[in-house]
Amino acid sequence: MYGRKASQLVKELTGGEKGQLKAFNDDLFNQVIKECSSHHVGLQALFRNMQEEGLDIQTTRNADFYGALIHHLSLTRNKRCLMAYMYNRAEVIRSLKWKLGRVLPNELVTKLSNSEKEYFKGYSAALDAYMNEMNLDLTVDMVPPKDPYIQVRVLDDIGEVLLTDRSANLARYSMHFLKRTDAEQYICQGLMEELLS
Amino acid sequence: MGSYYDVDDIIAEEEPVSAVFQKPANGVGIDPSAEKNCVDQGSKVELPFWLANELCQRNAVSVLVPPCFDEKTRLEIQADPACVDLRSRSPYFYEFGCKMVPIVADRTLGFLLFSAFRSRYKDVLTKAHTASHVAAPKILSRLTKEEVNLYEAAQSSVAAFKKWRIGGRRFHPASVLGRKRRSEE
Repeated sequence: MYGRKASQLVKELTGGEKGQLKAFNDDLFNQVIKECSSHHVGLQALFRNMQEEGLDIQTTRNADFYGALIHHLSLTRNKRCLMAYMYNRAEVIRSLKWKLGRVLPNELVTKLSNSEKEYFKGYSAALDAYMNEMNLDLTVDMVPPKDPYIQVRVLDDIGEVLLTDRSANLARYSMHFLKRTDAEQYICQGLMEELLS
Repeated sequence: MGSYYDVDDIIAEEEPVSAVFQKPANGVGIDPSAEKNCVDQGSKVELPFWLANELCQRNAVSVLVPPCFDEKTRLEIQADPACVDLRSRSPYFYEFGCKMVPIVADRTLGFLLFSAFRSRYKDVLTKAHTASHVAAPKILSRLTKEEVNLYEAAQSSVAAFKKWRIGGRRFHPASVLGRKRRSEE
């Protein structure tokens, strides 16, 4: 049936857990585009038929017209599905910048298509430029802070890093008392966890 | 109605509808029983809703009431709304139903949807507030998409209320990462 593949593509967005990203389905995406081309060919062939019979395409309501109509509707439907697939993925990709910062972990990068990688780069460059101009980091303090310092445990070997007030050796399983703004990006990336007193 | 990019709206419009062609159509391969690439007048074809709807508005097809809104379902909903497995009938029972109302002749369909949702609403919320968070209860498998959203909203509001009272972690790893990172260690 027409449009079945396109709807499978859209269904991929809903499968799995919320906010998770699946690998870009190049194969299915191209198959849908191929279906669109065949609709286009079908549509033009029917129009040519009508013209050869000397009928006015605008007003005639014969079998050819309804065939062309079905092709046209399938085209717009496929377009909607493709657009929704790209749009909803783009939304998730934009949110990555806010949640994970500039660098994406490898397992996520492999799920993006080339144009999506470009999009992410462009989006984070634009946001960075804006934040530089305003001299304000908008991505920190997404949760309203209660205390400027928090106790954290390191979950992965991060190594020697320079924090805003001092340098620290963030070895695995070590515990630290850090500035909230320093710890926030590591926690969001899953490299640290907050300890509760 | 959903927006252009609304995923649920798109999938709901994929639900099959039986349609009878009032006009013939050439050059399309949608009728599996036809020998040539065309649809004859009067043939009955199963179409996805998005196609049936547009054709119906142009009087090219007439649409039958889909089987998920049949007499048996209606009787079951009248008997005990909370126990009916609407998901197996259509995961988009309400959305699909709302879209069908303008194009089918059946005047009782709207009322059926309304009364089914109203009587199930309270039950879904009560169960969401009292059920434990760990095990996904059996009731979830009977709910439509819309009701599952409602159920999850209720559960998250209970969780947020508990968190507010007891306190807890304020930072969480980004949800896109999933739980994989832990197992890699």
